[in-house]
Amino acid sequence: MGVAQRILVAEDDPVTRRFVVSLLEERGYEVLVAEDGEHAVATAASARPDLIVSDLVMPYRDGYEVLRAIRNDEKLKSTPVLILSMRDREEDIVRGFEQGADEYVVKPFNAREFVSRVRKLLEPRRA
Amino acid sequence: MQNALVVTVLSIATLFLVLTIVIVLGKGWREVRDGWRRARRRELEPRVLAYAHGSDASILSALGGGVRGRDRAVVETILLDHASRVRGIEHERLCRALDELGFVDRFLARLSGSRWWRRAEAAENLGLAGAKRATAQLAAALTDEVSEVRLRAAKALGLVGGRAAVLPLVNALTEPNRWSTIRIADILTGMGSEVVKELMDGFPKLNAHAKLAALDILGRVHSLEAVPWLLKRLDDKESDVRARAAHALGAIGVVDAAPALRKALDDADWPVRAMAAKALGRVHDVTAIPALCEALRDREWWVRANAAEALKAAGPPGVEALERMLTDADLFAKHQACLMLEDAGLLDRRVAQLAGSGPLRSSAESVVTRFVEAGQIGRLRELAATHTEAKVREALARLLPRETPPGVAR
Repeated sequence: MGVAQRILVAEDDPVTRRFVVSLLEERGYEVLVAEDGEHAVATAASARPDLIVSDLVMPYRDGYEVLRAIRNDEKLKSTPVLILSMRDREEDIVRGFEQGADEYVVKPFNAREFVSRVRKLLEPRRA
Repeated sequence: MQNALVVTVLSIATLFLVLTIVIVLGKGWREVRDGWRRARRRELEPRVLAYAHGSDASILSALGGGVRGRDRAVVETILLDHASRVRGIEHERLCRALDELGFVDRFLARLSGSRWWRRAEAAENLGLAGAKRATAQLAAALTDEVSEVRLRAAKALGLVGGRAAVLPLVNALTEPNRWSTIRIADILTGMGSEVVKELMDGFPKLNAHAKLAALDILGRVHSLEAVPWLLKRLDDKESDVRARAAHALGAIGVVDAAPALRKALDDADWPVRAMAAKALGRVHDVTAIPALCEALRDREWWVRANAAEALKAAGPPGVEALERMLTDADLFAKHQACLMLEDAGLLDRRVAQLAGSGPLRSSAESVVTRFVEAGQIGRLRELAATHTEAKVREALARLLPRETPPGVAR
């Protein structure tokens, strides 16, 4: 069995965080957590996850700032980022993609759909 | 006298002491209880989530065969917390567990209780639990004497969904004195396409106020199924209904509605013409351009403004039409075209072309000249003074009428 892929979950709501962590761990992923944007950027820099799942509204640094920090970091800029947010307005979603998000999932979310998007983002990129 | 004073002081001091002890004990008890609940939650939550992510038909095996009395409140909170955050199969499994463990029955019992806050909480929880079998009781709670209970029951019906939940909400639209129409409309809109048929079927029985809300909802849910029905509403005898139907068709944005909307531009009532113009802008129908140019000549400002906006939304052919209208004999149309070209920054773009050469520059000169002839030169004067390109400033100075120096008689 190969090494488990590592996913960083940046989410300030503890209930959602625990749900997402259990969902991903149950699928065999190694999951790291961050409770705010500042912690998310620091953990991403030190742990180099294969994927980052980030909320938009978080203390200290919001999800857009986290995205900018990831995309401006030479070592992290190719790491896929999935935004998981309650914000469902078109402009929020468009802004998320413009700032470099690879996927955007609106809460309340469908767990199986979420997992399939995670799986897709972790697939080796096609040439 | 002195003794009485001492007794009074001692009594008050004793009372304060007793109260302090009660408060401290109460707080301590709550802290212990919350700590115990957090500890139980840490133990029980992974089991509940394992059930939610898994395929077991019952939650009982995940919980060791049942839930102890003291754990019931903890399990209930865990299930409700997660049910409110997810959709799909996991949500269904969590809702099924709430029913299996008897929580739905408890909420139903509380919904008919004597304390209003318990009824309100029960209504909310039934919604989170997606309890379809509670639809009738939730519908009945829409007539509760307390507005908070009514509102939470309405939200719960929105979460429970299904046709049986839609009808009482549609009926609630007819009682604006009891309900905030906006809130009910938001709930119905959130339910999506399942409200469409009930709204269309129930429409004739609705009062005037509710009819307009229903038309708005159909537009907001972008229901293609409702388009033929909405087209028929363009012939309704009430002008408000015709106007809102046009607005809803625009919100749906289906181009098939364009011929009927073009016809509505000739409606006898100006709100209908205004909404038809707006809707044509949203369906991006270039064949409507001549009709929209005609609407620019309307006597009502709102119709002209929406027609100009629609022409801009039609893209380059619409902008060309607006530029052609700069020479129109109708002063209203000419003025509205100027305003739109200026507000949308299209005049600035044309002015920038004065720095170029060839047909583009000639065409830009022609547009600027038409603005000058229409007397709309405020922005042009500003650009003549501040534009970054010297060529543009020179061209504008040549095209604009000379300013009369102050104090010189005209």
